[in-house]
Amino acid sequence: MVRFENVHMSYGEHAVLKGIDLHIEPGQLAVLIGPSGCGKTTTLQLINRLITPTEGKIFVNGRDISTVDPVELRRGIGYVIQEIGLFPHMTVKQNIEIVPKLLGWDEQKRSARSKELLKLVGMEERYLDVYPAKLSGGQQQRIGLLRALAVEPPIVLMDEPFGALDPITRESLQDEIMTLNKKLHKTVIFVTHDMDEALKIADVIILMKDGNIVQAATPKELLSHPANEFVESFIGKQRQAVGKLDTVREVMSARVVCAPDDTSVVEAVDLMRRQRVPSVFVLNKEGGFDGQISIKDIQSFSCTGDEMISRLANKQIPTVHPEGSASEAFKIMMQENIDELPVVDGDRVVGIVTRRSMVTSLAKVVWQGEAHE
Amino acid sequence: MSSFFAVAVKNQELILSSLSRHLLICALSLALGIIAAVPAGIFLTYRKKTAKAVLAVLGVINTIPSIVLLGVAMMIFGLGVYPAIAVLFLYSLLPIVRGTYTGILDIDPKYLKAARGMGMNRLQILRVVQLPLAMPAIVTGIRLSAIYVISWATLAAFIGGGGLGDVIWMGLQSYNFRLVIWGALPATLLAFLVSWLLNRVIRLTQKHISREVAQ
Ligand SMILES: Nc1ncnc2c1ncn2[C@@H]1O[C@H](COP(=O)(O)OP(=O)(O)O)[C@@H](O)[C@H]1O
Ligand SMILES: [Mg+2]
Repeated sequence: MVRFENVHMSYGEHAVLKGIDLHIEPGQLAVLIGPSGCGKTTTLQLINRLITPTEGKIFVNGRDISTVDPVELRRGIGYVIQEIGLFPHMTVKQNIEIVPKLLGWDEQKRSARSKELLKLVGMEERYLDVYPAKLSGGQQQRIGLLRALAVEPPIVLMDEPFGALDPITRESLQDEIMTLNKKLHKTVIFVTHDMDEALKIADVIILMKDGNIVQAATPKELLSHPANEFVESFIGKQRQAVGKLDTVREVMSARVVCAPDDTSVVEAVDLMRRQRVPSVFVLNKEGGFDGQISIKDIQSFSCTGDEMISRLANKQIPTVHPEGSASEAFKIMMQENIDELPVVDGDRVVGIVTRRSMVTSLAKVVWQGEAHE
Repeated sequence: MSSFFAVAVKNQELILSSLSRHLLICALSLALGIIAAVPAGIFLTYRKKTAKAVLAVLGVINTIPSIVLLGVAMMIFGLGVYPAIAVLFLYSLLPIVRGTYTGILDIDPKYLKAARGMGMNRLQILRVVQLPLAMPAIVTGIRLSAIYVISWATLAAFIGGGGLGDVIWMGLQSYNFRLVIWGALPATLLAFLVSWLLNRVIRLTQKHISREVAQ
């Protein structure tokens, strides 16, 4: 779908890309990742001809793009720029409908599409007539995303599209992008500097450094066979070092957010937003652990918001003991498909094991293992 | 005081016809100025080297005392309203060209990147993104030109162009200073009025834009 052949890019003396070879298959979700200034944005902008390589060839859909009319090329490629760049003099609706309008869609079709899109990112229709300056950073990013998706282009380029989002929205939009990619078979090229994000969504991770590709591999391969020390340290740097992988206590996070069981759903959601967590633990009158409630649960129930969380809480969720084995905890998470596992001592919540702690520890083990060989 | 208004009443016809002539001269030269200067400003954003030269030349023109230019124009076009309009037109160019040119170049490049990335062509980018975002700067240029043109138009009388300068001229010749004021005052008020009006337009054009800048 997108292929780079020995692509070099220089600004004057400054060589920004030094011979990029790249092949992204149709329907793949490829993530470009690397330190700031390594050339991620540059690589993205070469694909829709916002810039022209100093050397080398780029193919999109098998066609050498230097022979394609840039305007025509770009109509088939959605682009979310790093700076968002919503047009300030246009409402949300006008911003989303720019490309549909360029393509000559009638008002009815456009209008239906923008409503549908807003729903996709969980924003109400009243936002249609709001100007970007009135939106929060996260809302702006969502609209920027919708603007690029409006006509469902077969290829979508996204430059750090989730930087300004809170973890809850971020999670749900990551899921959305993955769905888009899998269900509609869109080819997505996604730039991030967040390894957790890359590991979660990528079919293939392209790790860059100083204008070169250091390794292009599936997340699994990248974790199990990092090409060199840079890759290791780049994955490692993203995580807090943990002790050897022994007990749950060593891999858990002690930062838990709890709420008494008579908290209302609305208050709980508010708490999650403020604490930037996707779920909270429910405590009974005596302060003992009495289940967990996540934003996903709340979204999937239809509730008025006044209910007490004890009614919606998942009380069957498995728990682990802090002195239990970490790998056992991870196994439970994988089998039960749980994102966050409560660590309970007696009836007290003392910590939480997340997918992030899991990846961190696994990566650590893998590399220590290799170092011994 | 009563004689002050008496002068106005006595010269009512002269003052009113001069005022309408003044308006006509100003409106015409400003309209021509806008028609020429906005496209010129846009064009120059694609030719930055030419732009420097053009802005320099216009800058020089605007420093030539208007009376000299009027004299030159009179030699070319003869007496009457046309040389006056020609000179005022020339003066009106610089602020509008500069406003348009810098207004477009000052636009945050992220908007152009977004626009190009969506597959807009040059004309669409100009219409949908650049002109709306540069509008406050363009109208600011027009406002500046309008004020220049309205005040300098009083000099048009010297080459037979008519306008409120006629009233002032007559007042000076007959040592009737009340009449001088009846020429100068409407011109000043007119400048204030137009300036205020255009300020409101500027505020309208930057309504949503500036809030974004303020964030
Ligand atoms: N228009 C430009 N002119 C000169 N240098 C540039 C330009 N754009 C990017 N660069 C340089 O190219 C390098 C890579 O930039 P970029 O691709 O934006 O990095 P990333 O997106 O990975 O942070 C940086 O060193 C940056 O300073
Ligand atoms: Mg970048």
